[in-house]
Formats: sequence, structure tokens, C-alpha cells
Amino acid sequence: MVWGSMIAWYLFLAGASAGAFLTSAFVEAKYPDSVKMRVAGRIIAPIFLGIGLLMLMLDAEAGLHNPLRFFYLVMNPGSVMTLGVYFICVFMPVSVIAALLEVLRRPVPKWLTWVGIVSAFCVAAYTGFLLGVVKAYPLWNNAILPVLFVVSALSAGLAATSLVGLVTDRERFERMWLIKKSHVILSAIEMVVLVTMLIIVSSGSAEGAASVASLVSGQYAPMFWGGLVLLGLVAPFAIEGYPVFITRKVETSTTSMVVSVIGEGGVLVGGFMLRLLVILAALPVMYL
Amino acid sequence: MTRYGMLINTKKCVGCYACRIACQMVNGLDHEEAFIKFDEVEQGTYPNVYAEVVPVQCMHCEDAPCEAVCPTHATYTTDSGVVLVDEGKCIGCKYCMAACPYGVRVQIEQTGVIEKCRFCWYEGEPGNPPRCVNTCVSGARIFGDLDDPESEICQEIARTNAQPLASDLTAAKIYYVR
Repeated sequence: MVWGSMIAWYLFLAGASAGAFLTSAFVEAKYPDSVKMRVAGRIIAPIFLGIGLLMLMLDAEAGLHNPLRFFYLVMNPGSVMTLGVYFICVFMPVSVIAALLEVLRRPVPKWLTWVGIVSAFCVAAYTGFLLGVVKAYPLWNNAILPVLFVVSALSAGLAATSLVGLVTDRERFERMWLIKKSHVILSAIEMVVLVTMLIIVSSGSAEGAASVASLVSGQYAPMFWGGLVLLGLVAPFAIEGYPVFITRKVETSTTSMVVSVIGEGGVLVGGFMLRLLVILAALPVMYL
Repeated sequence: MTRYGMLINTKKCVGCYACRIACQMVNGLDHEEAFIKFDEVEQGTYPNVYAEVVPVQCMHCEDAPCEAVCPTHATYTTDSGVVLVDEGKCIGCKYCMAACPYGVRVQIEQTGVIEKCRFCWYEGEPGNPPRCVNTCVSGARIFGDLDDPESEICQEIARTNAQPLASDLTAAKIYYVR
């Protein structure tokens, strides 16, 4: 396999970073009083992306030895990687400035938030297109993968921010129904999109079918079912969905908090697993 | 225009790997790094079967996917159709390795640069011929100008009806007799 866990970490962190920024913008619009969670999202965004970019540079060895070569990254707008660099060049400074303003207790200008929202969305989407345009791997080369990555990015960003809200500002967090509902719905959408992708890829080509088989019943099956499906999708869906759609009451017990932490943590584990599995399980087309 | 290409006759190839070793020597590669790899394909029907050895290297595609995705333009095509890597621009992101359907892009351990067969390009010209061609013990390789109908390679392609390995994947400039 060409890429490994380093790139999976980058794809996950970049997506979660964008998701965290979008979450904070959502919290700001709908819950102006939830300061801690908004600030958490704003701070998580540049930190996650910063760590991700570090991973990216560590993986690109020739550039690591000659850092000035990274400036050439803007040269080919026809490459999705170059487009991603453009998006990051906007999103990274915007998220850093927004985080700094929050820390300094200054208001973040509306226009800056909007620039951040658009560039965050572009960053989340490009990580999917980065793999999606590679024709050599049927598991990547389909229109559903970028959608799956965006949904997963939103979910992971929401989970990372919620985790902070849950621990630092629980009373308020438990009443943020819109956030909780969005979280459950995102998990449901992600499940549907994942199943759709696997079916389409599996029916498209022999190599695609073999990739999907390695996920659902082959060497990656334990990671796929345990890490991605159970921990990353089903558990969070049930844990969040139960109080939001069934009991409809505000939870205050310590048990429910521990369970919620497992749910949010599971989304993060699942988000990373998704990228890792998509990278590892992809088989190239046969040329002979 | 000159458009360099190669013909590989797998019916003549004896699978001695001399081309790979010669390539490694001329390009200063480590013993684990190689621009030429060998795939084996089962051919024929029982009981008349044999293992066909197919030497595979950079196909110098007209529509090179590695060049299309390269974010730094380190991968480029010369006027004579040879796909090359500018080492000074390569950051080693491995996007080209992912994009190449033939899996023939190789990371050089010492520099991290992603290299490949360059038709022994040196001082603005490809090798005359590249080292793998004049090393081949059985004359299985021919190098030349695909745009010159009088060239040995064009004559041989016409005579043998040689085809690229997978014309549905890319417009490759290495033709195979199989």
C-alpha cells in the first residue's frame, strides 16, 4: 500500500478540524450562551489541523529533507492536492485568528466566521476528492467517498467539541438538543452512505469487490466491524439516540456521562478507522 | 515530432532479470529499488501451459496520471514524450505512486524522491538505446521513435501487432508482443 497510518491520521485530523470549526459556528448561531463549547471548537480546529499537517510533512520525506520544496505545492491547480493546499492556506490562518480572538475574549467578526465556514467545508471535502480522483483504486474512485468523508468529518468535529462540552459544561450541553439530534442524524446518514458505497464499489469491478470483501469478511473485518461499525457508528447512534428520541429527558447521572464519553470517543475512533481502512483495503486495478 | 517508445517481446524474454540489474547499475539504485519489475502470468490451456514473464516499467503514458496529480509539477513530459521527474521539486508525497495504475513509481530510500524509469535520459536525450535494451540477451526489447514509420520499432509493432498492456487504463508508449 502506498500510504499508511500517517496519511490516515492527517485525513482524520483535517476533517475533524473542519468539523470542529463548523460546530463552533453552529453553536455560536444557535446557542450564544454556550461559550465553553464554542471556544473549544475554535481551539480544536487549528490544533487538529496543525498536527495533521505535521503528519503530512513527516510522511513526505523528500520535502522533509528539503522544506523549501513545499512551496512548489501551489504549482499544479489541476491536482486535488494543490487545491487542498489552497483551501488550507485560507482555513489554517482563519482558524488560528478565530481561536486567538476567542482566547483574548474578543468578538470574532461575522465575515471571518463565514470565510472559515466555507474554507472548512472545502478542506473536509477535498480530503475525500484527494482519494476519489485516483482511478487506479476502485474503492476510492467513486462519487460517494467524498460525501462519506464530509459526513464523517462533521461527525468527528462535532464529537471532539461535544466531548469538551460534556466534561466542562455538562448542564448546558445536555440541553443542547439541536447538537445532540444532529449528532444522531449524522451517524445515521454515515451508516447509509457507507453501505451505499460498499455496495456500489463491490458491484463495479473485481478489484472493488475484493477490496470490499477484505473489509467485511477478510483481513480487515475485525477493525471494520469492531472499530468502524460498532464503536464508530452503532454505539454512538444508540447512546445519543436513546435519550434524544426515546426517553426525551435531560440526563444528569454519572453513568450516563461515562456512556456519553464512550459514544463521543467512539465517533472519533470510528472516524480514524474509516480513513485507515479506506487507505489499507484499497486494491489497485489489474493491468494484465 | 519525435515520440519515444519501447517494444517488449515477452515471447523472446527469458526472464533473466539482466535488464533490471543493468538499470539499477546505471541509475545507481539500491538492490531493493528497481524501475523494472516482472509479473508472471499463466498462459495456455492444460496440458500446454507456461508462465509468461512480463517485464513492467514506466509506460511513459501520453496521459500520464502521475503527472496529472503531481502537486508540484515535479513529474513532467519532455517534448519527445519522455515522462521525467525533477528531483529538485519532488516532496515525496506519493500521490503519483497511488495514481500510477502499473505501480512502477519507486521511492528512493536515501532522498525520499519518487522516481521511475526515465529511458536513461541524460543531457536532454534518452539513452541511445536505454541500458535495458542493449543489455537484453535475447533481443526482446526495441527502443525508438514511434512517430517515424521507418524506425525499427514502428516496423516491428506493425509486423507483430504489438499492443500496450492495458489500453483502457492509459495511452502507454510501451508496446508488448505477447
